[in-house]
Amino acid sequence: MNNPVLENIRRSLGRTAPTSPSPRPAIYPPRQAESTEAEIVRSLEEVRKLSGVAQTIHADTVPDALKTLVAEQNIKKATAWNTPNLQQLQITHHLASLGVELVSPNAGKHDLALCDLGITEADYLLPETGTLVLKSSAEKPRAVSLLPRVHLAIVRPGQLRPDLHQVFDEARHDPYLVFITGPSRTADIELTVTLGVHGPKSLYVWMLEEV
Amino acid sequence: MSETPTYIGFETYTEHIPPSIPAAVQQATGRFVGGRAARVAELPHFEQLRQIASDIRLHTIENLDFYLERLAEQVTAAGGHVHWAATAEDARQIVLDLARRHNVHLVVKSKSMATEEIALNHALEAAGIEALETDLGEYIIQLAGTGPSHIIVPAVHLTKEEIAAIFSEKLGIEAPADPVELTRIARQVLREKFLRAEMGISGANFLVAETGTLVMVTNEGNGRMCTTLPDLHVAVVGIDKVIPDWDSLTVFLKLLARSATGQKLSTYTQFITGPRRAESEFGPREFHLVLLDNGRSNVLRDPLGRQVFKCIRCGACANVCPVYKNVGGFAYGWFISGPIGAIFAPQMLGTPVARELPYASTLCGACAEVCPVKIPIPAILRHLRRRVAEGDSLAPATMPAPIRAVAKLSAFALAQHWIYRLGARILPLVMSIFRRGDWIPSAPYPLSRWTKARPLPPFTAGFRQWWQKRKTGL
Ligand code: SF4
Repeated sequence: MNNPVLENIRRSLGRTAPTSPSPRPAIYPPRQAESTEAEIVRSLEEVRKLSGVAQTIHADTVPDALKTLVAEQNIKKATAWNTPNLQQLQITHHLASLGVELVSPNAGKHDLALCDLGITEADYLLPETGTLVLKSSAEKPRAVSLLPRVHLAIVRPGQLRPDLHQVFDEARHDPYLVFITGPSRTADIELTVTLGVHGPKSLYVWMLEEV
Repeated sequence: MSETPTYIGFETYTEHIPPSIPAAVQQATGRFVGGRAARVAELPHFEQLRQIASDIRLHTIENLDFYLERLAEQVTAAGGHVHWAATAEDARQIVLDLARRHNVHLVVKSKSMATEEIALNHALEAAGIEALETDLGEYIIQLAGTGPSHIIVPAVHLTKEEIAAIFSEKLGIEAPADPVELTRIARQVLREKFLRAEMGISGANFLVAETGTLVMVTNEGNGRMCTTLPDLHVAVVGIDKVIPDWDSLTVFLKLLARSATGQKLSTYTQFITGPRRAESEFGPREFHLVLLDNGRSNVLRDPLGRQVFKCIRCGACANVCPVYKNVGGFAYGWFISGPIGAIFAPQMLGTPVARELPYASTLCGACAEVCPVKIPIPAILRHLRRRVAEGDSLAPATMPAPIRAVAKLSAFALAQHWIYRLGARILPLVMSIFRRGDWIPSAPYPLSRWTKARPLPPFTAGFRQWWQKRKTGL
């Protein structure tokens, strides 16, 4: 195969043929996890530092927590991932009983853009930065965490990973990942921090603890 | 702005800088420098991370052909399309062809330096295709028709009143001078465009060779919109953006936001490997990666100069640069400014075009101290000054012959210590002719250029005598 760009690179590097490189320089080891409680506290603190709303909940406090959120954010329309965990919590059922109109997460982009609230669950959570890691698939459409003006992510202690290394070891072969660290923000006008420029204005992170 | 410059007149530009520009730029740089310092203090192993990052980038540059080949294989295996663009013109044609084939009328763009480099917006507009920048700062300067004044906050030189006036004029709506309101208006206008656009164009912060993954970092979410909603995603990326694997990413992601804005991580980091897999999923149906050479493979011939490709575009070097802070981004004449611009433009555009830039520095070394990948910027600046003056196999000399002769002569004299010593004796005698009291108020050319602005202190002793006295404990 002749590829002029690669050939010119080789010429400039003083090579005539492709060579296999020596191993890449070693990386820095991952941080060590603290106790689960400490990791939870740290994660939620980081989310709050970035103007996110973070709290721990239990399966039986979900209805109340949803009620508060719907009132606080004036939610009329919502969409949620169709995952077993969220189904088990009966999220859509509770929302419907609060009078919220539900939109399928597989609806078109125009319909999702009209939603006030999008509900997902995080595949991983990084305590050091309060970062949610979300995968994408037909059951977990990536637009649900992007188009609605409020994003709620539910996460369990089992999803905590101490550092990027562990997340990458598990997820590097996924076709799509997004890290979400706080709500959408900009400081482009006179350096004034403004939330919700394109993505969600508000981010809620609920840590679901087993009773 | 954003056509490829044919000459960058740094000096001429600096004669007419509106004072509002350094004031605004210094507000931004001050904020970022403070933020960076706080983040660095939190990470005890920051220095080790820098060293590792530098080593990995060097290793990648030295094996660029290997990693690019691997990257291309993996992108293809993931269902993406790879295009090699040897020149800016090639890259523009590839994108235009894709746009025509898919009957594209509206393109949404996420901030991308590579597309600035190839002046893609002009080409799209000339072909009748609307191309919209969607990063708020980029959107504002696109409406204003100016260039970026800062790598991270490109519209920082504009006040909210000026932005409100631009919005009112260009969008035909009543826009108040309030950052929150202006942001809301931009959200509304651009949201409609995101939903309508047939093509999203992005750059990339990193390309991971191991899996063919494009890594993109944004704060606003516009990057996610551009790569999630349109059916077609085209990424235009310099060949220098490749890294070996995901393990390397653990290093770079920790350094990038901390060095750039003082965040621990930017709000959104996307890892995109190929197009969407299922029809019922979001994400583009087609993913195209345009790998842009545009002279990079030639720059690789210079073993010192090529370290410029270690850059991860954090802007930290500009934030601490005393020259940049006083002139702002426009002075550097191209899409990339500050110390990194001063070593990038001369190599990419040729030393004759950007010959003033290596001199746009005090060589104070602050940039090298903060650079997360340890690019020896001052050393490269000095090296480029030499290339500018003397010429080499890559470009001819640009200094006039007499100056080159003087430089050669002084290099010779400085190397022969007896000539130097003799000069040091004679000079004070010569200078005493012009001395008035404790100062020399005006000296003959070429020193008159100095004394026009301020008096010159007379030479009182040679450096050697002064050094001797100092050593013997004065
Ligand atoms: S040269 Fe270094 S400090 Fe400057 S933008 Fe590039 S990586 Fe950042």
